[in-house]
Amino acid sequence: MSLEAVLYRDWSGRLRPSWLACWPIARTGLLLVLRRKMFWLLLGLALLNFLFVFATIYLKAQVASQNPGLARFVDRVLSNVTGTGETYRDFMFAQGTVTMLLLGFAGAILVGDDMRQGGLTFYLSRRISRWHYVVGKLLSIGLLVSLTTTVPALILYVQYGLLMDSTSYFRENLGILRGILGYGLILSITLSLLLFAMASWLQKTVPLVMSWACIFVMIPALAGLLRRAFDDRNWQLLMLWRDVRLLGTWCFGGIDTDRELQLLLPAAVIVLLVCLLSMLAIVPRVRAVRVVQ
Amino acid sequence: MTSLLQLRQVTHFYGNVCALRDVNLEIEPGAIGLIGQNGAGKSTMMQILLGLIRPTQGTATVLGHDVRTAGIRLRGRVGFMPERDSILPGLNGIEYVALAGELCGMPRRQAMRRAHETLSYLGMEDARYRRLEQYSVGMSQRLRLAATLVHDPDLLLLDEPTAGLDPEGRAAMLALLDTLATRPGKSLVLSSHLLGDIERVCTSAIILNQGQVVGKGRLDELRAQRQQCYQLHWEGDATNFLAALRQRGVDVQVDNRRDQARAIVPDGWKTRLFFADACEHSVLLTGLVPEEEDLEAVYHRTINSSEASERVAPRSAV
Repeated sequence: MSLEAVLYRDWSGRLRPSWLACWPIARTGLLLVLRRKMFWLLLGLALLNFLFVFATIYLKAQVASQNPGLARFVDRVLSNVTGTGETYRDFMFAQGTVTMLLLGFAGAILVGDDMRQGGLTFYLSRRISRWHYVVGKLLSIGLLVSLTTTVPALILYVQYGLLMDSTSYFRENLGILRGILGYGLILSITLSLLLFAMASWLQKTVPLVMSWACIFVMIPALAGLLRRAFDDRNWQLLMLWRDVRLLGTWCFGGIDTDRELQLLLPAAVIVLLVCLLSMLAIVPRVRAVRVVQ
Repeated sequence: MTSLLQLRQVTHFYGNVCALRDVNLEIEPGAIGLIGQNGAGKSTMMQILLGLIRPTQGTATVLGHDVRTAGIRLRGRVGFMPERDSILPGLNGIEYVALAGELCGMPRRQAMRRAHETLSYLGMEDARYRRLEQYSVGMSQRLRLAATLVHDPDLLLLDEPTAGLDPEGRAAMLALLDTLATRPGKSLVLSSHLLGDIERVCTSAIILNQGQVVGKGRLDELRAQRQQCYQLHWEGDATNFLAALRQRGVDVQVDNRRDQARAIVPDGWKTRLFFADACEHSVLLTGLVPEEEDLEAVYHRTINSSEASERVAPRSAV
């Protein structure tokens, strides 16, 4: 018997259910993104906004407790941080800009490389189905989105509640928590599906970033022009980011004008349509084999 | 003994292209070579055996699992090593192999421990923390083999495991596969263009041509299927001797310069007939060597005879 045969050891153990493999896939995706310095820069940018709001809440709490006379002045100056649903919605919306950039560049690493460099074969030849792979990848994108939007918003919510009147704030503003989670969920699902679909077809960073910019910059700009040209607010529905925001506002219970209410259903349909089309685009890309010519 | 693979009338189409046609196979555990040209259907067969694609027609079972219904369970017992790619740039060796283990259902800690063991077994202890994009071709191949072995599968499906390796790397890889093939309870299906690799590692082979199985069985049986062939050496004038052999139906190809010939004998030939004719025509036979056929010759013979019979078939049909 050769030396190798002696060294080789059999393994016997209980295998875990296949659906648990989604987590290693998601974790690996996150790991691959966080290993690139560029993404730390983008996360740093996202952190700046978070730190600003964090510091604002802290300052207001300190002023309110130590110098109530000055509190009204500070409230007036820093009027965008009031602890209402609007505060968190605007914060998450602002975070979205950095998230957009982050996802545009991360798409190729998270999904595109698997299609281009045979990673898909690596995954699909294991004890999982293609749906486990899809869920794992969507989870990794969703986690990235949550890391820059939902998680910081939740931290700010907890911070506001702790620094202000905890018991009454948390009791009276449970709707905000629902809003943060709901808006975060809509953001995560929409962006994950859209990014997965685009990255699986475009694969490389440059075309992906260009197409991403087209959806989130060019089309909104065009929609703005059309809206002004035809004086019709419905053109705004072409702005996907705005549609998502409208749904987010609904999650926070903040829709109070008839105009917004009228646009809510079409916006929801558009977001749903984008998700559906993305899913349809994903299916042929995660087949095990490519058709042999 | 339970069959390792059982394929019943398996046919697979990609659109209008028929990749596999009416394949019937029953293979026992062991080391099996899968031979065929590009486009012969090897990769399609591998994908079917792995449960990644469902055959358009027919049934296939691997290790007792139906590939149509038990694909996931089946992949828990099978390790697949693709020809190339399937690397995740950005990970290091140990993370890659451990991830493969986790995807096969191993708990994280055990997957990590097993990844260390497997990489050590393949002689990659020093490179285990290196990024995958920094690996040489040979190391990448070994790494892929490690990812294939990490969950200790019963069946290894290896697609061109020596592709792109230098002679030393190839020899090392073959030695490893040879060792694995002899382990009890382990079977492997090795797909390769390099017939020498298959001859070295495998005990039986499946020959595919244009999506059909044109030859299968143990290598020694495949070799035995050929017409018998001998190298003859003699001293003296052999004109009458060779004419006598031809009269008996022997196909004699003479090399005049060296007093030697290649003789392809008909079925039921007795070796003593050579000596009887030589004696009758006063020729001294100095050498009578049965020709050994290597796998390459077996392969070409099988492919040629299958193509010849395909050419005849339409005529007879008319």
